Amino acid sequence: MLAELPWALEAGLKAACVLAAFLTLPLALGQLEHKLMGHMQGRLGPMEAGPHGLGQLVADGIKFAQKEDVTPAAADRPVFRLAPAVALVPYLVALSAIPVAATWVAVDVPASLLLVLAVTSVGVIGTLMAGWGSGNKYSLLGGLRAGAQLVSYELPLVLAAASVAMAAGTLSLTGIVQEWSWWWLVWQAPAAAVFLAASVAELQRTPFDAPVADSEIVFGPLTEYTGLRFAFFLLAEYAGMVLMALLFTVLFLGGWRGPWDDAGGGVVGVLWTLLKATAVAVGFLWLRVAWPRVREDQLQRFAWLVLLPLALVQLAITGAGVVVLG
Amino acid sequence: MQVVLNWGRRYSLWVFNFGLACCAIEFISASMARHDFIRLGVIPFAPGPRQSDLMVVSGTVTDKMAPAIRRLYDQMPEPKYVISFGACSNSGGPYWDSYCVTKGVDQLIPVDVYVPGCPPRPEALLHGIVTLQEQIAAETPGQARSRSGSRYADRPVTAGEVTRDLVAPPAQD
Amino acid sequence: MSSRDVDVTLGAAGVGGLSTTEMVLNIGPQHPATHGVLRLRITADGERITAAEPVIGYMHRGAEKLFEVRDYRQIMVLANRHDWLSAFNNEVGVALTVEHLLEMEVPERATWARTLLCELGRVLNHLMFLGSYPHELGAITPMFYSFREREEIQAVMEEYSGGRMHFMATRVGGLLHDLPEGWLDRVDAAVSTVRSRLPDLTGLVLGNEILQGRTRGIGVLDLDTVLAYGVSGPIARASGLDVDLRRDEPYLAYGELFGEDGPGRVVTREAGDCYARLDVLVEQIQVSLDLVEACTARLRDLGPGPISSRLPKKLKVPAGEHYCASENPLGLNGYYLVSRGDTVPHRLKLRSASFNNVQVLREMLPGTVVADMVAILGSMFFVVGDIDK
Repeated sequence: MLAELPWALEAGLKAACVLAAFLTLPLALGQLEHKLMGHMQGRLGPMEAGPHGLGQLVADGIKFAQKEDVTPAAADRPVFRLAPAVALVPYLVALSAIPVAATWVAVDVPASLLLVLAVTSVGVIGTLMAGWGSGNKYSLLGGLRAGAQLVSYELPLVLAAASVAMAAGTLSLTGIVQEWSWWWLVWQAPAAAVFLAASVAELQRTPFDAPVADSEIVFGPLTEYTGLRFAFFLLAEYAGMVLMALLFTVLFLGGWRGPWDDAGGGVVGVLWTLLKATAVAVGFLWLRVAWPRVREDQLQRFAWLVLLPLALVQLAITGAGVVVLG
Repeated sequence: MQVVLNWGRRYSLWVFNFGLACCAIEFISASMARHDFIRLGVIPFAPGPRQSDLMVVSGTVTDKMAPAIRRLYDQMPEPKYVISFGACSNSGGPYWDSYCVTKGVDQLIPVDVYVPGCPPRPEALLHGIVTLQEQIAAETPGQARSRSGSRYADRPVTAGEVTRDLVAPPAQD
Repeated sequence: MSSRDVDVTLGAAGVGGLSTTEMVLNIGPQHPATHGVLRLRITADGERITAAEPVIGYMHRGAEKLFEVRDYRQIMVLANRHDWLSAFNNEVGVALTVEHLLEMEVPERATWARTLLCELGRVLNHLMFLGSYPHELGAITPMFYSFREREEIQAVMEEYSGGRMHFMATRVGGLLHDLPEGWLDRVDAAVSTVRSRLPDLTGLVLGNEILQGRTRGIGVLDLDTVLAYGVSGPIARASGLDVDLRRDEPYLAYGELFGEDGPGRVVTREAGDCYARLDVLVEQIQVSLDLVEACTARLRDLGPGPISSRLPKKLKVPAGEHYCASENPLGLNGYYLVSRGDTVPHRLKLRSASFNNVQVLREMLPGTVVADMVAILGSMFFVVGDIDK
């Protein structure tokens, strides 16, 4: 779409668009969470900040910017200070490789699936750094929980994504959507389930939120963070949800392709992507409202004894399917 | 600019509930569906003092608890606000003549709004929050906290300082 | 912080050639899980707890000492506040003790109305724990559902007494004032509303697979430990101890309610784990709602009549001593009153349920992981004021 512009201008514009999306989508999701959770619990959610409470997260942002920045005396200062950035930036990079419509992708690299998966797994280092650097026992416990959890869920996540990539015969996200057709919903259903469960665990959301379990270890790795640094972690969490919802849409729900108009370019495609991604994100939120959290060892058992075999079976099914159809 | 900054602080009060006694239950009631202070931008999901802006001390402050309260208050980042919720934390309440109860949390930390009652109704807390929000809206950012901070800076913090000595038994004749 | 000192040395000692130092973790006094200010000093090897010690006293307000300078009518203000989730049951216990020493007859209407309010108080208490326990396991929503029901019941309690939590409706010799016009109907309406909506809440809590996975077989408390530590109430009954003072040493109108054809029954479970404890609470709510309905029916039959006895201006209790125990929502609550014929008691000792129930944590926690610690702690259903008094 922007092919005719000079290279530098094009890159700048795309970067600006990605950054804008990166800053607004998580906020929109956070607001949705407030409201959705409120209504599911017989409340209204925030009402006073802005019309119908729409400004709640903006107010939060303004407030966080004014807060004192505390670095605990026992902290490992450079590690502690760097951790929020390490947690946040990978999601920004990953977001730029996600196609929201056939031609609407900031960076269309050939193996974009690989890039996204590789980059998102860097985020865990930020959490580990926060856990270690805070010099707090709860943080340490939380950081180690997070590390163990993210390592074991990375595998089913990648295997589920690999199944789709195998079916499509390409590692490019745009390529995957172009190859996608509706009956993949059935064919790749186990992979979709595995991916969804693993991504909830990657995001450390309920029911897999043991690393930040507030009734056990206060707030896990984030216990000591204040002000903007804490806000960055929150932003990373919601950006992660946006990213995972978009990735799920692209891999399993056919991205920008609607049931009628298969052209996929332009605004309609973007709307389809956002609609599907919102539905997935609402699923994430719903889990948080409805369920308690599982214990750390139950969570590991679930990853290794349920998700991993399921992902492997799916790979075999996909392989057979590709051979038969191919 | 000042209006925007104040607006942000006013409607984003992440609350840290220092739940000590009966009043903590009414505090929870106030956050529940019927009274619902989340409407006012008071977010009760702050897990610890580091992320919170508002500390609600609800319940009887005992001399044994006092150092912990002061410490958690010190751990909160500025700008921070305190609501003293209930007669006990205002003044000792029905335990005013007890040997082990601190007569009011304002001996330890500066309090912005006092909510009377034993325990106060959730509506009273809502009123307290609205009062606090009005105070915040009238503040000048950056200067606001100097009014009360210095009064408390030299107050005792550690358990050793706050805990009084054992009373000597009366001499036996 | 000692987490930095975790020394990992390759040596002969330790399993697998690694020796690690244990970490001492202070849970509390102000920690999201302790709903109050209980402090636990746990020694943990990684996430595995090797030793746990409850440190109590953060909520000690010296109530027993203050009783000694309060008039018998004033005592109830404090008695009602030590276990703030069973306020009415506490008041009644004090009143019963004093009335016994005075050898005072309480009007029948007052006895039935007290029973009714006690059972409503029990429902309020159990609903609170039914909301807060899942909250500790990470489920936020049940709390909102349980508070919706609590508000229903608090509304009728408030209509009678004027208080939402501390009712102060009991007087020595009866109750504060007569029941308001049409109040019994509103109680029945509230009870049927709560009863009809309760399945939503219990389905959300007990029916959840994750919650079952977190609580079944966790924190098993055997009967011997229960007896050794004097654990009582729903926790003891979940371990199979079939003791309920409402049936075994009836006070108020419980003798009739727990009699042959009465609606009362004692809820017990055998498993003794966290799930059983929660399950006992849920069923006790049902039983209490039945009892409330029986009480309203009886109060209607009784018709108008006195609800309190006349007291002298200066209430002096004759010298003597008396121990009276009642079945509070959290367990056995005892009052030992020593009077020297004064307007104030010489000594009023409280035997509170939570104090004993919490001591058993020292036995239960070692060997569990930190996450289970929260599950067990929450399932012991304690109120910190009841521990420290």
